[in-house]
Amino acid sequence: MIARRPLTAIGRRALDGVDAALELGRVAVGTIVGALISYWRGPRRRGEIARQMYFIGNRSLLFVAVTLGFIGMVMVYQTCLLTTQVVDGRGQVGAQFARLLVLDVGPSLTAMMLATRVGAGIAAEIGSMKVTEQIDALRMSGVTPVDYLVVPRFLASVIMTVVLTMFGMAVAWGAGGLTGYYSFQINPRTFFDLSMVAPAHVWLGMTKAAAYGAAIPIVAGFCGLRAKGSSEGVGAATTAAVIGSSFAVLIIDFTISAIGLIIWGAGL
Amino acid sequence: MTARDGQAAVELEGVGKAFGGRRVLAGVSLTVPPGGRLGIIGPAAGGKSVLLKLIAGLQRPDAGAIRVLGHDLVAAREPELAALRKRIGMLFQNYALFDFLSVADNVAFPLLHAGVAADEIDARVAARLRAVGLAGSESKMPAELSGGMKKRVGIARATVARAELVLYDEPTAGLDPVTTSKIYDLLRADQAETGSTAVVVSSDVAAVAAFADTIAMLHDGRIRWVGAAAGLFDADDLVVRSFARGEERDGAAVLSRSVEAARPAPGAWP
Ligand SMILES: Nc1ncnc2c1ncn2[C@@H]1O[C@H](COP(=O)(O)OP(=O)(O)O)[C@@H](O)[C@H]1O
Ligand SMILES: [Mg+2]
Repeated sequence: MIARRPLTAIGRRALDGVDAALELGRVAVGTIVGALISYWRGPRRRGEIARQMYFIGNRSLLFVAVTLGFIGMVMVYQTCLLTTQVVDGRGQVGAQFARLLVLDVGPSLTAMMLATRVGAGIAAEIGSMKVTEQIDALRMSGVTPVDYLVVPRFLASVIMTVVLTMFGMAVAWGAGGLTGYYSFQINPRTFFDLSMVAPAHVWLGMTKAAAYGAAIPIVAGFCGLRAKGSSEGVGAATTAAVIGSSFAVLIIDFTISAIGLIIWGAGL
Repeated sequence: MTARDGQAAVELEGVGKAFGGRRVLAGVSLTVPPGGRLGIIGPAAGGKSVLLKLIAGLQRPDAGAIRVLGHDLVAAREPELAALRKRIGMLFQNYALFDFLSVADNVAFPLLHAGVAADEIDARVAARLRAVGLAGSESKMPAELSGGMKKRVGIARATVARAELVLYDEPTAGLDPVTTSKIYDLLRADQAETGSTAVVVSSDVAAVAAFADTIAMLHDGRIRWVGAAAGLFDADDLVVRSFARGEERDGAAVLSRSVEAARPAPGAWP
């Protein structure tokens, strides 16, 4: 009896976990099917995707610019410090930085920022609709909450994450170039060198950006739809969305990088 | 017309529902004939709202059988439930108005998703808002409305699509007696016009007893009493009678719970 209690508690937690994973899978499939088919069938709010794109851009543009700008500066500064210690490798810094930026740093760090801003926003919006029964009211009209709420955010997020990633990369590249010039006297013509960036890098980087953009609203929408209780439930859903979508970014980064290595090998 | 002849609009048998191990409903059985008006009363937190959500197919029961408008809700899969819900109107206890849509768009929502033509939507929304006394508030947002106005928008939204079954969760909680009787007049007029079936949950026992033809009292997760509304105040069951009359019963918690239920939540009305 005494020994069974902790086991039932563990068992219940495990079942809850399985339940949540299944639900996340359903939201993911529902979102993707919705984006491809069902969302376009029923009546939709006019301009909803554009409105969501505007929200995402408005919420994140400055945020992405500042963080990616600083990261570009710090990365170039630190790399220059290292490469000037033994032999002078400053001429290589720009080209290597561009490669790293396109392949990984640009998409992943932009997405990390978006996971907090956009993920939290989506979870809070959908979560507060859940706890005020607006989700149930949607369902009373035969509307699928995933189609109505998650799909437009999904489409907007995929597009805007790719756009903001390109923007963030440009800012980081520029900030890195300025740092190289002012702190280490690297000629901008030497620094802004794209010879190390291959089409495969661009492909991989942009695939990552699109995948991050897809994952964030799915995870955040899932968290929002599971919100329970009242405002504290919305808070919990928002926190879970930030953690969950950041985590999703890391997993996707790892997975796509691994696939890239398998396809293109060490030449990447 | 709503269901096949002789078939009940709503039929529950031994319905049970628990949340996290806490049993809220423990074997509820109820029948509402087509065109009937059932009032459900009972202490606060007794599961009345949960019961309505089960009937609407928004939640699934843990046990028992539910048939609504000829559909078996336990066996039905989500697409069937979604199609069925379009034939059901629901007023939520806390209105659940879409806060990103104007009053008119809230009321239009069920019609829009039922594929009604745009000009007909406009006409029906305008007529509905006039009926609930909200003509002129079309472009207001829910945040700008008082509680009573929200409730009326909720009623307009629940009835605009001429649902065959309408579920009202506390349609008059926190409203003054004049507004209360106006709202019940409205429900009566709607029902006369559409021949729909109505299920009303209310803590305002006298008002709901005047509206409904049948009253059921939910107590301890079961239907403690069901009968003609007229007989409620003279019911043989002491618990039911004292709850309905709002009388003190020796050492029982019924009264305090019923009083608590009748009082609007503090701060609920701006
Ligand atoms: N979705 C839910 N999750 C957990 N508990 C719930 C849920 N819905 C209702 N409950 C609980 O069920 C009980 C009955 O709730 P409700 O049906 O709202 O009562 P009322 O009779 O006042 O309408 C309450 O204790 C409430 O906390
Ligand atoms: Mg209730």
